[in-house]
Amino acid sequence: MKSSYEERFVSIEAVLENLRDVAYIANRQMAMTVYLACRLEKPILVEGPAGVGKTELAKATAACLQLPLIRLQCYEGLDESKALYEWKYGKQLLYTQLLKDKMDDIISRGNGFKTAMDKLHQYDDIFFSWPFLEPRPLLKALQEKDGCVLLIDEIDKSDDEFEAFLLEILSDFQVSVPEIGTVQAVTRPLVFLTSNNTRELSEALKRRCLHLYIPFPDAALEREIIRRRVPDISEQLARQVVDFIQDVRKLDLKKVPSISETIDWARVLMILHAEILNPALVRDTLNIFIKFEDDVGVVAEKVHQITAMAVK
Amino acid sequence: MERVLEDFVTAARTAGVRISISETLDAVRSVKVVGYRDRALLKDALAVSLAKTAGEKIILEDCFERFFAFRLFAADPGRAGKDGDIPSLVQTESSLVRMLMEEDRAGLIAAMTEAARLENISQIRYFTQRSLFAMRLLGRMGAGGLDGQIQALRRLDTPAAAAEADRLEGARAYLVDNVRNYVQSQYDLFARNEGEKRLENELRLVKLSNLEQRYVGRIHNIIQRMVKRLNDLHSRRRQAARRGVLDFKRTLRENISYQGMLFTPCWKKRKIERPQIVVICDISRSVLRTVRFLLLFLYGLNQEIAKIRTFVFCTNLVEVSDILGSSSVDEALTRIQGGTDIPLIMGRTDYERSFGEFRRDHIAAVTRKTTVLILGDARNNYNDPHPENLKAIYERCKRLIWLNPEAPAFWGSGDSEIRQYTPYYTMIKECNTLGHIERLISALVRR
Repeated sequence: MKSSYEERFVSIEAVLENLRDVAYIANRQMAMTVYLACRLEKPILVEGPAGVGKTELAKATAACLQLPLIRLQCYEGLDESKALYEWKYGKQLLYTQLLKDKMDDIISRGNGFKTAMDKLHQYDDIFFSWPFLEPRPLLKALQEKDGCVLLIDEIDKSDDEFEAFLLEILSDFQVSVPEIGTVQAVTRPLVFLTSNNTRELSEALKRRCLHLYIPFPDAALEREIIRRRVPDISEQLARQVVDFIQDVRKLDLKKVPSISETIDWARVLMILHAEILNPALVRDTLNIFIKFEDDVGVVAEKVHQITAMAVK
Repeated sequence: MERVLEDFVTAARTAGVRISISETLDAVRSVKVVGYRDRALLKDALAVSLAKTAGEKIILEDCFERFFAFRLFAADPGRAGKDGDIPSLVQTESSLVRMLMEEDRAGLIAAMTEAARLENISQIRYFTQRSLFAMRLLGRMGAGGLDGQIQALRRLDTPAAAAEADRLEGARAYLVDNVRNYVQSQYDLFARNEGEKRLENELRLVKLSNLEQRYVGRIHNIIQRMVKRLNDLHSRRRQAARRGVLDFKRTLRENISYQGMLFTPCWKKRKIERPQIVVICDISRSVLRTVRFLLLFLYGLNQEIAKIRTFVFCTNLVEVSDILGSSSVDEALTRIQGGTDIPLIMGRTDYERSFGEFRRDHIAAVTRKTTVLILGDARNNYNDPHPENLKAIYERCKRLIWLNPEAPAFWGSGDSEIRQYTPYYTMIKECNTLGHIERLISALVRR
């Protein structure tokens, strides 16, 4: 059976088209990476500055493949029991309590310690079986019959050990649960890993992935994104907003505004019924896309100049 | 076609992109999916599967442009076009001559790349090999036959034959020229970085005090790479040290909530000991270079690997841990030398006073877990060295390592008081190349 990725994503153009339908404007390189990942069944490692749509790419892909999106948010101290599976200790305990009499019965029927032990051994696997297993995102992703999109978000925030643990899943799409055995993926999930580069990822992990770097978009692409995401915006304002943001990105800032901030700003301007940009308006709404006090100072100084450039 | 990819990977590796075999296989598979038809697509596919950082992507793109450049055998404006009417006098079986006369660009390129493949041009390493490879390529393509053709035409001694011979000579020059260019471009691809590599190896061995200013930037890069390696190595060891044996007491405590059933075992955690390092540096001009690189190294180390306090002295001694902690090493050293906001006197080096001040004010920084690094040439300008100050430090610390930027032959000569200090250090090391510094630091962080 052909997997649903291959049916939907027959060519790179089809990927672009499909993503566009769910309001995600990708460039050709991104589309090609998604296409290749589907074909080669490889995970994609997405890097780039914050807010350029790394997570969105995974969401949009899931949406247009009509597959469930399973998301694993990484953080420091994330371990197997949170990411892969955990035994339902409560349920196990409850069942042992309930079955206590039954067990007494089984054990006391025999005579002698050894026979009781042997009998107990026949039953001990009962409490470590599927009904007592709580699947966490990774195991869930492997169990999905029709495949799914697995998003491992901000992998750089997790510990080195967790990264090493991921290697088995990413290369073979299988995990081993000691009490049950090896679980193999029914349909290989399409995996996205995102990273903000807070630390260098290991070579081994990088080697297993296709590496996609999403930079800030150029003006044309950003305009298209704005028009898609904020449909009511006028052509003129969209152009001005994008030109303004593109210029701000050239300044020396602690945190340059990204696409998500451009979209937020455009939405705010729509709510304020702005027709065109003017310095006063920009200064009032500066905190929408500038997140540091120092940066606000830097931009405020140049608002006049940049606005004039953008409005021109 | 895989052969081409193989060569491309070799070229990219030479340019400094780290590519493993599995990534090469990925690239082959990706290229199979996207095909060779669309140049931009091919480039993206290779970038996605081979380059794994933003920096590597830029290198790879540049490499791609150079590798798949087809400027060869461009139409030569100097050469007269072939007159279709006049039947060629050249009676030949040689395909090379035919291609040259008919200006078959594609054919020529194919013949040349095939010859290059047979001659293993990706093995080129030195610029002196360029002519050799050009000759071999021409030989493979059958250029030897050209001379015979030209001579045969000249012997005919008719105006038409002479013109034909002239044309053929022009064509030969054109061919040689193009083959040379091609070999040059291949040399650029496959060998240009070899020289760099050799230079880097040299730089590791050169005395830091003799280092030319223009190499300082390069040294920074080398240090960054060395530090990264050390960090990788030792952070992994740190993780391994974390695992311990079963902590039975804690397991009992934790599992009280399960009615004493032992559901979640707890493990003993070994305490991670970070090496504590106190660095005392002489920053008089004779030692400054070495100090800079040592500090670059030390402060590149992960905070989790080592705790470092730094003191500098010339005439007197000042703690500069704060300055180094808050700004880059280069900036910090300029500030320290400028001495605007710190009470450092840059007069004659005074070991007696500096060690005395350390003993008086900062001796608490030294515990029995501390490694003290002293970097200096012990040239005390013929003052009394007062070794008892050093003795006090030595007695408190785990080990005291003296780093001397001078070669051992000069220790103790002139105003060098190193012999006076000899009883009070655990070891002394010559320290004036990057290699020395690296070996020292990896010994420091090893447990």
